Order: sequence, then structure tokens, then C-alpha cells
Amino acid sequence: MHASPLEGAIADLQAAKTTPELIQATKNLCNLRTVGAISALIEVLGFNNPAVASVATAGLIELGSQAVPSLLVSLDEKNYGSRAWVVRALASIRDPRSLDLLEHALATDIAPSVRRSAARGLADLNLIYPEESSKLNRCLLALLAAIKDDEWVVRYSAIFGIELHLLKYNSINKHQCIMGLKQLSSNSESIKVIRLRATLALQRVNPS
Amino acid sequence: MNSAFSASVTGLKTFLKSGYEMKDPSTEHLHPPLTEAQVIANLRQTEDFSDQYYAAWWLGRMRSRHPETIPLLIAALDPLQDNPINSERRAVALNAIRALGILQATNAEEKLRILLKKNDYSIREESARSLGMIQAQAAIPDLCELLSGSQDEVEQIQPGSAKLKEPYESVLEALGAIGVASHSVIIMITPFTKHSRPLIRASACRALLQLTGDQKWAPPLIELLQHDDPLIRRGVLLDLGATGWMPALPAIQAAAIENSLKLVALRGLAEKSEDTSVLDAMDALL
Repeated sequence: MHASPLEGAIADLQAAKTTPELIQATKNLCNLRTVGAISALIEVLGFNNPAVASVATAGLIELGSQAVPSLLVSLDEKNYGSRAWVVRALASIRDPRSLDLLEHALATDIAPSVRRSAARGLADLNLIYPEESSKLNRCLLALLAAIKDDEWVVRYSAIFGIELHLLKYNSINKHQCIMGLKQLSSNSESIKVIRLRATLALQRVNPS
Repeated sequence: MNSAFSASVTGLKTFLKSGYEMKDPSTEHLHPPLTEAQVIANLRQTEDFSDQYYAAWWLGRMRSRHPETIPLLIAALDPLQDNPINSERRAVALNAIRALGILQATNAEEKLRILLKKNDYSIREESARSLGMIQAQAAIPDLCELLSGSQDEVEQIQPGSAKLKEPYESVLEALGAIGVASHSVIIMITPFTKHSRPLIRASACRALLQLTGDQKWAPPLIELLQHDDPLIRRGVLLDLGATGWMPALPAIQAAAIENSLKLVALRGLAEKSEDTSVLDAMDALL
């Protein structure tokens, strides 16, 4: 009896041992472009193998909004590596249903790579302006709070997001954002790359 | 050399070399938030070593500017003069050495130079790194001394460990960071570009690229970015970032390494070059 292509691909993935085998099996699974592959691809994110996880993430991103419901319920509290991939996939898919999760991850996740990806996601969710201004504003306020993050790369990601919002939308919080960027561009910020990025954002947002 | 950058990279490189899977160093932070005053008090007391250990790390990590921070960190080095050395006090001292480097505590220079002569590999390794971050020119002769020895001696693995005679990587990185491109420094570093260990070759090329600006030291680094061993790729990526050598940008972007680490490497490049194209490259990796 012939297994379906999906069953075959999942069986190959389960049989794979080495990284090249895992990559190939994951690629085959992605190439089926079917919602049936989603749960297996999400499982791959937890293997602690970045090369394989990046292939699976690309496959999930390609499936787009169809993958969102499963991704939203798949956060593994014990495996921050897998959480980072899930959040990265959600950030790339840009589905507004991810807003709650991204907001929560940015504010509370202990892993900086997860918070960084969450900020990236909140920069550019697929929301309609001005109809969904209140959701857009939630994104912006979450990013504004993240400029106080202890980890430079999260602050960096927040600056990127704030810049994008200010360039695309007219926000009631614009003044507050400019003040935040000014602070990050000053010497009260200890990390030079943050000062450089905040200065660049100010130039783009407020060309004089 | 941007010291804040090299400090964060130093922690990362030490971690990478410990052989574990890459993780964010800050997830070590499992304690509840403390105030700076509490942390200072924790470092001053000598009853609880784990509180002292965490305090010494925290003050560097948070770039404490409290007036008592540096004197207390320097005092934490004193137990290294005891005989025998208490192993828990030694661990506190190692964190204090790292923190003094991150904080660029120039007044710790003398003590750190003395520690380069200690009969303890890790103490010499961390002291060399911190002297590099402090850009302690007076330490150059001591650092060069650690590089001396015949070709056999510098390749010789020490009995009972995988370590070589001296912490060559941290010494080479320190000389690059201090930035004095004298003939005597260059001739001490150059032989290490032919060392059998890839990460030592990379550290030597990184230092020479920083010191001389001579582009001939870049191709070996770019080549090592293709190495089969991910630990080597990661270490070399950070070396390339630290050099600030702009033509490395495409190679860093294309490397088979996780984005978290590429961002750290590109931060080094951005801070040295102040070129906005590096910031654009970083944006694309978020």
C-alpha cells in the first residue's frame, strides 16, 4: 500500500539522523506546501538544530496565515530556541492574530532573541490604517516600552519598529516616540550602535 | 577599539568556546531584580560567595558607575594572592577581572598586569582580555612575553587538558585592542597566523588587521567563515566584526550562522565604521 506523499515525507523526517538528512527531509516536507505539514514543521523547530529549524521556519512562513493558529498554540516554555523560531515565523507572516502573543513575548520573555523577534513582528503587522489605529497603537506602545529593555539588541529592534510606524502612520504618540529616540541617541545610552541607530531614525522621521 | 563592544563579545566567545550550544548569555540572569545598592552590599560582604559572584558579574553587565564599584572589584582580586587560593573566591575574582575590563577600570591595570604572571591559565586569560579592553599600553611587554616560545612550545598541549601553554587567543585579541602597532608587537603576533588551531590563527589575523590595516590579513578570516565546525565559524564571525573591516559585510551577511550572532558581529562593524549600510544590514536580520 502506498503512503501519501505527506505520510512519506513525515516518515522520512522521523527516520533522518544527520543534519543533512534532516535538512533534506524538512525541505521535502516544505515543498508539499500543505497545511498537513504544519505540525511536523513546528516540531522540527524544537530540535535545537538551527540549520534545520531555519528551513522549517521558511516553510511555515510560506504557508502564511494558514500556519498561524498552530503557531499561536505552540510556544514551548522550556525551549527558548524553539520559541524564537515560532516568534520569528509569526513576525514574518504578519498576521494580526499574532498581536497578543507578540506583545506578551516582547514584554516578558526571558530570551533576548525572542524579544528581538517579537519587536520585529510588532513593527509591521498587516493592519489597516486608519481603521485599525487602536491595534497599531498597541504595537507602537509595546515598542516604546521596549526601548528600556536591558538587552541592546531588543532596544535596537524596538527603534527599527518605531521608525517604521512613524514613517507609515500618523500616531497620537509621535511626540513620545521622538523623545524616546532622542534619549537613545544621547550619551545616556551606553551602547554606541543604539545611539547610531536612534540618530538615523530621527533623521528619517524628522528630516530638517 | 570600542571597548563596550569587545566586552560583550568577550563573554560570548568565552561561552562559545566552552562547547555548549549557543544561548543568550543574559538568560543566566535567574535572580530577581536587585538594586545597585544591594549588589554593592553583596559584593562587599564575604559570607555568601554566590552573592559576591553574581554581584561581580552584575556590576560589569550593568556598567555600574557607582563610586564604590571599582574599589570593591579590585579588592575582590586580593584572594588570588592567598596560598592556597580558595576556589570560590577565585571564581568571584574571575568575574571581577571581567567586570574591571568592561568598566575600563584603568586603575586596575597594575593588579591585572601582576595577574598575567599567575600560575593559573584562566586568570591569565581573563586578565589579558581585560587589559585589552582597558587598552593598557603598559601591559604590552607582559602580553608579548606570553607569546614567546618556540614553535613546538606554542603548539604543545598541556598534560591532562586540551589547553595550550598560554591563552593565546585572549593575548592576541588584547594586543589588537590596545592598538600599538610597533614592530616588536607585530613580530610577536605574526607567527600565530600559521598556528595549527583555527581560532588562534583567526585571533592573530584579527589583531594584525586591526593594528596594520593591511588587507592581506582578511582573506584567511573570510575563508575560516566556511569552516565545517560551527564553533569556529561563530568565533571568526565575531573576529571579523571586531576588526571593523567594511569589505567583510557581505561575508558576514552570507555566513551560515544564526542571526543573533551576526547582529553582534555587525554591531562591531557598525560601531567602528559608523556606516549606515551596516545598520541597514542589521535591520534585515532582526
